[in-house]
Amino acid sequence: MEDNKDIIQNNDVPERQPLDRKTVIKLNRDIGSKNQLKGWLYLAPALLLLIIFSFYPLINTFRMAFLNGYNGLAIVGGESFNLGVENFKTVIGYVDFKQCLKNTILLCVVTVPISTILALLIAVALNSIKPLQKVFQTVFFLPYVTNSIAIGMVFNAMFTRVGLGDLIQTQGIINNILGLFGIGPFNFVNVGSSWGANMFVVCTYIVWNAIPFKILVLLGGLQNVNKQYYEAAKIDGTSKVRTFFRITIPLVSPMLAYVIITSFIGGFKEYSSIVGIFGEGMGPGGNGQMNTIVGYVYNMLPKSNLGNASAASLILFAIILVVTAINGYVSKKKVHY
Amino acid sequence: MADLKNYNLKELNVRSASRSQRVSKIVGNVITYIFLAVMAVIVIFPFYWMIISSLKTMDEYRANVPTLWPQNIYFENFATAFSKANLKDLFLHTLLVGTISTVLSLVVTVLSAFAFARLQFKGKNVVFGLLMATMMVPGELYTITNYLTVSGRLPFVEEPIQALDFTNTFAVLIFPMLVSVFYIYLLRQTFMQIPNELYLAAKVDGTSDFKYLWKVMLPLSVSTIITITILKMMGAWNAYIWPRLVANDQAHQLITNGLRGASFTDEFGEVNYPAQMAAVTIVSIPLFLIFVFLRKYIMRGVSRSGIKG
Amino acid sequence: MKKLIALVLTVVLAAALVLSGCSLNGDGSSSGGSKVVDPDAEIEVVFYHTMGANLRSVLQKYIVEFNKIYPKITINEQSIGGYDDVRDQVITELQAGKQPAIAYCYPDHVATYLRSRKVIDLNEYINDSEVGLTEAQVKDFIAGYYEEGRQFGDTSKMYTLPFSKSTEVMYYNKTFFENNGLKVPDHWFASGANDDTSLEYVIKKIKEIEPTSIPLGYDSEANWFITMTEQLKTPYTQAVDKVEDRFLFNNQQNMDFCDKFRAWCVSGLMTTQSIYGGYTSGLFTNTSANDSGIVIHSYISIGSSAGATYQCPAKSDDGSYPFEVGIAQIPQADKSNQKVISQGPSVCMLKQKDQKVNDAAWTFIKFLLTSPEFQAEFSMTSGYVPVLRSTFEMDAYKEFMSGANTNKEGIAALSAKICMEQEQSYFTSPAFVGSSDARDQVGKLLVAYVSAAENASEAELKKLFTDAYDRCVTLNK
Repeated sequence: MEDNKDIIQNNDVPERQPLDRKTVIKLNRDIGSKNQLKGWLYLAPALLLLIIFSFYPLINTFRMAFLNGYNGLAIVGGESFNLGVENFKTVIGYVDFKQCLKNTILLCVVTVPISTILALLIAVALNSIKPLQKVFQTVFFLPYVTNSIAIGMVFNAMFTRVGLGDLIQTQGIINNILGLFGIGPFNFVNVGSSWGANMFVVCTYIVWNAIPFKILVLLGGLQNVNKQYYEAAKIDGTSKVRTFFRITIPLVSPMLAYVIITSFIGGFKEYSSIVGIFGEGMGPGGNGQMNTIVGYVYNMLPKSNLGNASAASLILFAIILVVTAINGYVSKKKVHY
Repeated sequence: MADLKNYNLKELNVRSASRSQRVSKIVGNVITYIFLAVMAVIVIFPFYWMIISSLKTMDEYRANVPTLWPQNIYFENFATAFSKANLKDLFLHTLLVGTISTVLSLVVTVLSAFAFARLQFKGKNVVFGLLMATMMVPGELYTITNYLTVSGRLPFVEEPIQALDFTNTFAVLIFPMLVSVFYIYLLRQTFMQIPNELYLAAKVDGTSDFKYLWKVMLPLSVSTIITITILKMMGAWNAYIWPRLVANDQAHQLITNGLRGASFTDEFGEVNYPAQMAAVTIVSIPLFLIFVFLRKYIMRGVSRSGIKG
Repeated sequence: MKKLIALVLTVVLAAALVLSGCSLNGDGSSSGGSKVVDPDAEIEVVFYHTMGANLRSVLQKYIVEFNKIYPKITINEQSIGGYDDVRDQVITELQAGKQPAIAYCYPDHVATYLRSRKVIDLNEYINDSEVGLTEAQVKDFIAGYYEEGRQFGDTSKMYTLPFSKSTEVMYYNKTFFENNGLKVPDHWFASGANDDTSLEYVIKKIKEIEPTSIPLGYDSEANWFITMTEQLKTPYTQAVDKVEDRFLFNNQQNMDFCDKFRAWCVSGLMTTQSIYGGYTSGLFTNTSANDSGIVIHSYISIGSSAGATYQCPAKSDDGSYPFEVGIAQIPQADKSNQKVISQGPSVCMLKQKDQKVNDAAWTFIKFLLTSPEFQAEFSMTSGYVPVLRSTFEMDAYKEFMSGANTNKEGIAALSAKICMEQEQSYFTSPAFVGSSDARDQVGKLLVAYVSAAENASEAELKKLFTDAYDRCVTLNK
């Protein structure tokens, strides 16, 4: 990592004398004092909109969470609510809450590393080829213009097994392929399938769904990397693997940090992928064994049970906050800006 | 002669070295291509499925044995998708909303990302933390509160205020969704990839912040900017729940709402998926074309042209 | 980390500031006075529904007719998507005071809306001396459907009017039944080994004749469970205040019928949509062989009467139908207590800021729902059953009914006919906040129960019932 810092400082500003430490400190201080107002000015348009459309709803979520039994329709009907933590008690008292929590955390921990690594490999591979590059890029972008309903339908068709007991009418392509090797058939998503099998399918789906966006971002990051580093590595005869770990990863680390942090945040809010595969029953036969916290939030909305929905959201919020803080701490140490 | 011999020997060495290098390069390339091809097939499958589903009859879609290729190609679904929608207006509305929100969103995003990446001021990290925090709450709760806000139902006020009712306007389709913390964060990361040395050097030269942003930062981040443009366009194009809630009248209806609204529940309240897929396919085509057009900019990158502050 | 703590504190503080601002909103109870629509006032009435393109054109035709009488009233009809989409949109809009004047609804939805006190008690209009319904008009509604509007606890209030109806019917493979001399079953369980009109006997017989068949496919598990409780008069739910007392389905009688169905499922005699993993109508009409070359069929399929066309096989290449479809009432448990579930949309009216809009909305609803012509056309387009008696007397409708037959062209009429014959047997369950959870949970419960592992212990099976109950209770605290 230290080596690369040198490369950047020396190669990026080839026509200038490197600034000495004292000048840098002084410049930074000057900029700091001058920019107080300027910083806020640059942020003003975004902040104005965010205050109205993001901060206020966030605060409103807090408010609804701490009013016992808050219900949006009851407010219209003229009822009022007392301050308290009843909503949190109700959420935690929900019989499947532990299961929701477990699923939410597990999905995140499994899918984020896998999808990030795969996307990084694809992005690097895409960046390293010349012929067919355009074709491949276009292909990897296609899922982007594909509707999420389509993806859900595909997954169902791929993993499903239609039939009763030994009488199998039809089964998805996955079981057919496994059958060629004499394995299976497995019950992946249908009634009676195990939690582990469901988890496997949902994780595959999430990884699949997440990859295209990550490729796009990481590819953009790779494009911003100065080719000189690679040329230098080539001349030195550095091996490809070493180049990957010593040059590529550090140089795209800001993008990697972005991808990891945002996909952790997104992963904790996982919901639509499970609905895509199992429907709103959130499990085989609607048994809810794959339900997540956001799934619970969605359960509360049709009754306008905003108090419980908000409380569950805040519990999730707290978890994500802690994880993001850890992520941020790690990336501060490891990310190379 | 001796010199010549020496020279030949040298060349021979170089050649054999380059041959082994070439072999390893070819092997590496083959592996790369196989890897990409396999991943491409996996990734493209849903897209393929979307297209063939749009060409199936409802009976075939409901069949217990899903077919990998439609038995009869049934273009009728596209006619169904088109039939009830006033496509010209829908495209026009979507283009208007999409373009304005993309342009404004880029301006806002660039300014904020620059502030977060380069400017020093008190409270910067707290504000950034707050921004991140807004990403951590499930979006549905925002939708409800924001809907009340744009309807003129403010906190502490008992009755909705008619003058502040912005529903059924283009503004309400553009502004509430304008700022995306995801994009600000993404661009901030890109900006931070650009060495701070450049900025300090520019300061020494007396370049203004804005000029530096315009002349140095933006050209260096063009691929991220394009990525954000595409994502934002996509967002405007695919938005469904919010537009349906706030502006679903004839004069403001957007394409996804127009196409999804009436045509896809049949007489029994069951969703006509083939027709819906046809509609989604129609909607996807312009996006796909935009991507094909912008792709070269994503890939062009700027580092090759060198960094000259 | 310090910054994050600061951040959290900021948000909490800000929240605390807003916390006190929980505003009250008066209940804008309707004023008295005439409900007659002023013919000169420009009024817009918003109507949310779920109609597809074909039905919508029927509706639009009648809006044109309506506008001939009331040219100043604009009916802004919007197709919102599915029933749940209508519910979600209405709930959100209620909170901003922008709800539609008329909405398609299911009883569960209305039970939720009631808390906003914006659902209009239709008796205010029905009993009005000027704009109300005449006694003849009320009598014209099929009584069972009409009474559904009062199922919300307080029977003095009427919150919905029926729009169109459907129920569950039993489709059977008539060709197969005739070829094998099977009788159409009319009750579930066999009283003896030779009770050949019981479903139990028939499905066992079918399995003997064709071991690779799954004789019975039942589309909706929730309907099955609820219908059984109704037929057997065993407890299901009740509308009371205490959450713990609302859900009564966890009892031994219900476990008993689940045990029987479980035995059927284990021996391959029956399946349901979730257990099978595909549409049971697809199983019923299937003509393609699986990988082992076997064509797996069902010979009895129980599903919605409105989905009749899906229960008919497509024409073979030679233009003939692979088999004829018969339709009958679903089996019963007790001949003296015949029950079939009532489904299909109703409409409710939601209070508007301007009383005039409500009045105009009522005028439109009255125009639409008391028109036998509209009901006839709607039924012929959709397969739903008309809610007015007079519709059945119309020549056009009689002609439609006479076209009833056992293949794709006439099946909708046949199904409507079968529905109409059992109008006395329609039932609904009490609607209250949380009744949709009960419905949801018993459906899942039935699936889990009948498909549980063969060696599942009694305690494990019992736990499925208590879990379902616990979920209902903890979801509604």
